[in-house]
Amino acid sequence: MEWLTDPFGAEFVRTGALAAAIVGVLCGVVGCYVVMRGMALMADSLAHGVLPGVAIAFVLTAGAAGSEPDEAALWIGALAAGLLTALGTNLVIRRSRVREDTAAGVVFVFMLALGVAIASRIEGYSVDLTSFLFGDVLGVGGDEVLVSALLTVAVLALVALLYRPFLLISFDPQRAAALGLPVDRLHLAMLAIVTLAVVIGFRVVGALLVLGLLIAPAATAALLTKRLPTMMALSAAIAALAAPIGLLASWHLDVAAGPAIVLVAVLAFAAALLLRPAQS
Amino acid sequence: MQTAGAALHAPDSLAVVARSLTVELGGKEALTDLSFELPTGSSVALLGPNGAGKTTLFRAAVGLVQPVSGSIEPGSGPVAFVPQRLELEPSFPATVRDVVRMGRYGELGWLGRFGERDRALVDGAIEELGIAALAERRFGDLSGGERQRALLAQATAQDARLLLLDEPFAGLDAPTNQALRDRIRRWRHEGRTIVVATHDLQSASRDYDLVICLNRRLVAIGPPAEACTEEVLGETFAGRVVRVGELLIDTAHHHHGAG
Repeated sequence: MEWLTDPFGAEFVRTGALAAAIVGVLCGVVGCYVVMRGMALMADSLAHGVLPGVAIAFVLTAGAAGSEPDEAALWIGALAAGLLTALGTNLVIRRSRVREDTAAGVVFVFMLALGVAIASRIEGYSVDLTSFLFGDVLGVGGDEVLVSALLTVAVLALVALLYRPFLLISFDPQRAAALGLPVDRLHLAMLAIVTLAVVIGFRVVGALLVLGLLIAPAATAALLTKRLPTMMALSAAIAALAAPIGLLASWHLDVAAGPAIVLVAVLAFAAALLLRPAQS
Repeated sequence: MQTAGAALHAPDSLAVVARSLTVELGGKEALTDLSFELPTGSSVALLGPNGAGKTTLFRAAVGLVQPVSGSIEPGSGPVAFVPQRLELEPSFPATVRDVVRMGRYGELGWLGRFGERDRALVDGAIEELGIAALAERRFGDLSGGERQRALLAQATAQDARLLLLDEPFAGLDAPTNQALRDRIRRWRHEGRTIVVATHDLQSASRDYDLVICLNRRLVAIGPPAEACTEEVLGETFAGRVVRVGELLIDTAHHHHGAG
């Protein structure tokens, strides 16, 4: 049993596991909307969209070489940039006649390039860039866990409040509009919630890998369930479990923690694909 | 659904009132200067070729597109709109019962409790459309006909005063076709107003109280005997209607016109 408990002897591992599990619950629930509405590319665009905001916040607050950036500024930068990306992508989709994947693709490479360009101004930039892109789960502080937990509770409350409108606009926007729902505003609200999940998840698994936590657990749950409440519960459970399992794997195989967590989530999806009961 | 300065609902005796309704899509006029009234409790066939503006008329009635001038107002009470196509992820996490329950969400709002009456409406609709055996199946796993039944059950559960059905007979299997005909008849008996967009000339001239002949503008509106003359239909379908013995056939769509 020591191989199970040893890694969690260190406080920074326990804190990281807790942070990743919280992020897992959040991304697991919110990711259900991403999967059931086919918004994976939009979510990817949002995930990259946070980069320039984080990079700008870093450059502005880190000051002289070596001094730590302001944590709150990083969060706010990420959130602001993510929301701008959501609005920007939405606007490009509506105003131009390009397909949604093209619009999201253009926006996301722009944000990725902009983020890396700004980050390259930071001294010792490769280290910080790596943590932007792939997360720094073992560097998460206790107060960050608290903020993540509070935001997660707030987002889950919103998801519960908007359960029916979100289900209606996901099922058929036309029917939803005919029922008098403000479909466009609800869609933006959904994008904002995905953005929040991305921002909270980004610290743990990074901008490139947060999509894995959004999509893989939800896709796994979609294979195994047929109702939204059970899909959300299963997806959250899978994503939350991926955190400690991934950290264990990371410890014993000596690989990076964020990618290990995402790999576990994707392996769960592969297992569900292979093992699920045959379709009736 | 409303244009500025014309925010009044139609009186109770009228289910839909259109006044000089003009709608543009992509800069081109899709509907031009339509004026008509539909009395409450009537069944109405909306007849016209592809591109005539049938779907646009429905979308304007439920507020999905705004008119550039004029107005179209449904009467009081909930409106059910059953669009022609539904694009959905096959793994969409909803059972057939969930889909029918969504019919109640319009009236219940975001958080209203799902009560006895809601449950009765949902169960009744499921029973009536003959999908009780499918109720716990995933909606995305159903066949086309079964899906259409589930969507009709959703509209039934909505308990709407006005139902707008866009090409509901397109591509239906025979039993579902019959179930829909029965359902339309019963809706009418219950005093609801039903508007059905269709290509089916035979059915339009036989099964409905009123026929609207539409081709971007209003060609005719009236009881089938008045609206379904050869002259009117020729104008509506731009000469693509031919008479074969007793039958009028829309040559562009005769494959939909069976039954």
